[in-house]
Amino acid sequence: MSEAWLAFSIFFAAIFTNNILLTNYLGMCSFLAVSREVKTSIGLGFAVIMVMAATSALNWLVYTYVLVPLNLVYLRYIAFILVIAAFVQLAEMVIERLSDVLYAALGIFLPLITVNCAILGASLFMVIREYSFFSAFAYGLGSGIGWTLAIIAMAGIRQKMARARIPRGLEGAGIALIITGFMAIAFMGLAGMIRI
Amino acid sequence: MKAYKVKEIVTTNLGKGNPVFVQVLGICSTLAVTNVLKNTLVMCAGLIFVTGLSNLTVSALRRYIPARIRMMVETLIIASYVIVVDLVLQAYLPDIARQLGPYVGLIITNCIIMGRAEAFAMSNSAGYSLLDGLTAGLGYAYVLIIIAFFRELLGSGSIWGIRVLGPWWTNWSIMVMAPGAFFMLGLFIWIVKGLWMKEVKKS
Amino acid sequence: MPEAGRVRKGVGTVLFMFVITLIFISALTLVNLLTLERVERNRELLRQRAVLYSAGLSLPESDVETAELFDRNVREVRGDQGGLLFYEVRPPGQADPAGYVVVRGDPGLWGEIETSIGYDPGLERLLGLDFIKQNETPGLGARISESWFREQFRGKRGPFRLVPEGVESAEDEFQAITGATSTSNAVLDILNRSIEEDLPRIAAERGKP
Repeated sequence: MSEAWLAFSIFFAAIFTNNILLTNYLGMCSFLAVSREVKTSIGLGFAVIMVMAATSALNWLVYTYVLVPLNLVYLRYIAFILVIAAFVQLAEMVIERLSDVLYAALGIFLPLITVNCAILGASLFMVIREYSFFSAFAYGLGSGIGWTLAIIAMAGIRQKMARARIPRGLEGAGIALIITGFMAIAFMGLAGMIRI
Repeated sequence: MKAYKVKEIVTTNLGKGNPVFVQVLGICSTLAVTNVLKNTLVMCAGLIFVTGLSNLTVSALRRYIPARIRMMVETLIIASYVIVVDLVLQAYLPDIARQLGPYVGLIITNCIIMGRAEAFAMSNSAGYSLLDGLTAGLGYAYVLIIIAFFRELLGSGSIWGIRVLGPWWTNWSIMVMAPGAFFMLGLFIWIVKGLWMKEVKKS
Repeated sequence: MPEAGRVRKGVGTVLFMFVITLIFISALTLVNLLTLERVERNRELLRQRAVLYSAGLSLPESDVETAELFDRNVREVRGDQGGLLFYEVRPPGQADPAGYVVVRGDPGLWGEIETSIGYDPGLERLLGLDFIKQNETPGLGARISESWFREQFRGKRGPFRLVPEGVESAEDEFQAITGATSTSNAVLDILNRSIEEDLPRIAAERGKP
């Protein structure tokens, strides 16, 4: 299988069949907290896509050219999370200076992203699955898009449900989890289409 | 240590301030590992260990950490303890280490640990912080154990790997997969909140 | 704050971060060094157990005995470039090989699956199967490591087909795991690919010393 085709199938799978949120349960906290409104979800989603794609690529480089040659693989958790924290900090500073519009749209979400388990998770999975550089980048980008897809869909559903009568005990996190369960079932229907 | 403060920490973390079903934190790992009871217990042990010690360390260093890099230092401390857990598991419990896979590393981003470090350890003494960390971990643990018990029972017909339901039982495979986790947790929150509201109504 | 004070504060922050990172990394390096030997030994032992199990030999209780059994009865057959091709396993006390074990890595659903497959001397039937490394879904795909799943391969011959879990399987079929279609298919591919790729190689190399 050619390199480009492999990277593309990983990209596709990361969005649909191995959705990092609906299949691997990563990124739930911010997902549940932010998914009440479509507008904020889009903002957070785009920030996540950017960070996930960039940090997957950066962490691949750090892993392959620093950790492995120096026999420091056991430090990968620290290395990855520091890369992510540093990148987010940098991105926030750059965006703040570059564009007010962009900052208002996604800059404010950036601090929230550092602790998003999906970002670290994507890097860890990429290492476990021994992806090449292009596959790792495709995986990060695809996972970000997949996560965003899930959160926007969820926000859309929750906005519509604002008028529905939900049992008091289920309001908030309870119903959000149940909806996510159904979404996960729906996405399971796509399983097996691609093996990555 | 003052008795009333100890009581307050314990009851909040186990009950009305429970990290999982009240603050809705640490959900990722809750969903991922609770399909096998054994893995859940190891995960909880790891989390209690890391939360307690990281709270202790952050609290001990709280006067020296510059404000700007507060979160990075906290992350460094948490990540270090997680690496210790990871190495110990690989050395002494390799089978379980293999099953937990990347989820051990994801203890780092578990919002509970960072949450307690920020909310409590940065502004309280070391002793209370350690207690707060341990009890927050316990609050997380008992919720996960209950969910894992049902998920493994219904999904694999077993408890702790031992088959308890006879051949008449058809495994609810969905309980072992992602949707089962979401439903179980949602159900758990519903039951707990429902009971609470009844209590509030009564009083 | 005056410029000089700001710079000093900035430098102080970076210095603090650097120092504290160094302290923690040193502590972790220490822990790593202390556990390294055990981790390596565990890994080696796992592989040895898998090879012995796949060849149909019964596994001794202790780790020491396993390592001894492996050293005495298993011979590594290497290719021209020095790469490991397969293992030749002799039953204890006999000269003729009991079978050949090949260890291979293939993609699973979540990550790589490292499988050890044992073939009989006639290169027709499977002696056994074991998974050295897999990262499949716990409770589902990961069940391929359960003993019932691995035991069903003894004596079977490929190329293989899948049957549903719980259904009687013929000698060229094996039971999949309900709810773990992708992983079951991955194992199917591993076996069929191995039959196609590895058997000719073993046949060619086994005569050589």
